[in-house]
Amino acid sequence: MHELSIAQSIADAAREQASLNGGRRVLRIGVRVGEISGVAADALEFCFGMTVRDTDLDGAVLELEPVPVRYRCASCRHEFHPVEFLADCPACGSTGASMVAGDELGLSFLELE
Amino acid sequence: MTERVEVRQNVLKENDRIAGELRRGLAERATLCLNLISSPGAGKTSILEGTLEALGGTPLRVAVLTGDIQTERDADRLKRYGFPALQITTGGTCHLDASMVQRAMASLPSPDLDLLLVENVGNLVCPASYDLGEDAKVVVLSVTEGDDKPLKYPGIFRRARLMLLHKIDLLPHTRFSRDAAVADARRVNPEIEVLETSCVSEPGLGAFVRWIEQRLAEKRQAGRPARD
Ligand SMILES: Nc1nc2c(ncn2[C@@H]2O[C@H](COP(=O)(O)OP(=O)(O)OP(=O)(O)O)[C@@H](O)[C@H]2O)c(=O)[nH]1
Ligand SMILES: [Mg+2]
Ligand SMILES: [Zn+2]
Repeated sequence: MHELSIAQSIADAAREQASLNGGRRVLRIGVRVGEISGVAADALEFCFGMTVRDTDLDGAVLELEPVPVRYRCASCRHEFHPVEFLADCPACGSTGASMVAGDELGLSFLELE
Repeated sequence: MTERVEVRQNVLKENDRIAGELRRGLAERATLCLNLISSPGAGKTSILEGTLEALGGTPLRVAVLTGDIQTERDADRLKRYGFPALQITTGGTCHLDASMVQRAMASLPSPDLDLLLVENVGNLVCPASYDLGEDAKVVVLSVTEGDDKPLKYPGIFRRARLMLLHKIDLLPHTRFSRDAAVADARRVNPEIEVLETSCVSEPGLGAFVRWIEQRLAEKRQAGRPARD
């Protein structure tokens, strides 16, 4: 359960970005959560609500965007969601695919008042 | 008027910043840093004990930091080998972060080290997200945990440079398939290196100790970076 630390990091990052943008009120925070980032969305939402209560971010909506694991085939560049991390390309059958998405945990946007 | 601002930044940016500081400090001293991660009881402290024992006769300057939610027990075990060993008690937190390591390093008798070994809190999920400035994450998978762990906890197997198949002495008593575990770990991380270890019988920890010595040699060769 490290969602509380993650929620605090999101709040800190959002505050920093908001102050870079003239200190406006934050209405919505977009976060990309990779499938293997190790973060549970429900727990993160719960912890975020707890972290920002009675602060300047109280009421800000956390919008989580799940990012599925995606592989790209080294031979034909086809991108696909692997079955249990198998690198077999469904388009050309070669086995040389590597992960291009799914382990990120990043801020994607802020909606400011 | 609401405005949408696009941002591209890692949520753990502050941790990454401190980890970057740690990494630069370690590079300046040519200190190799390993971050051991496993589920509770897989054998991290036992492996560190055996490693310290093996390195005891060498001129290497070693220190250990060990993370625990509650107790000082692991540090007490690790202090017996003549190297500095400090406990980082996280007080409920399920992982070490870079700032905890930075604070603990400041309490070491000397920062001039060849090897810094870090035992993370027993947990296969949370520690995987936190860069500690280490050269390599080492994931310990003991054979009693089951060979399905690499696909169930892909994050850590993806980020680890080395996997230790540990308590290999118990293999005959389990249904653990080493081939399946290695194949699955390589699905999530084709580059992962694998060694088999045991703290109670053959093959011992020799392969791991040699692996560390190879990494130390590499680190020394990489040399100290020029200061800018
Ligand atoms: N059979 C066998 N038992 C082992 C081996 N290595 C460790 N153990 C036992 O496994 C148990 C847990 O070992 P620890 O070294 O405390 O494990 P840990 O990963 O540090 O545990 P936490 O810090 O609590 O997460 C102890 O009872 C050890 O004696 C091994 O190679 N073979
Ligand atoms: Mg331990
Ligand atoms: Zn293809």
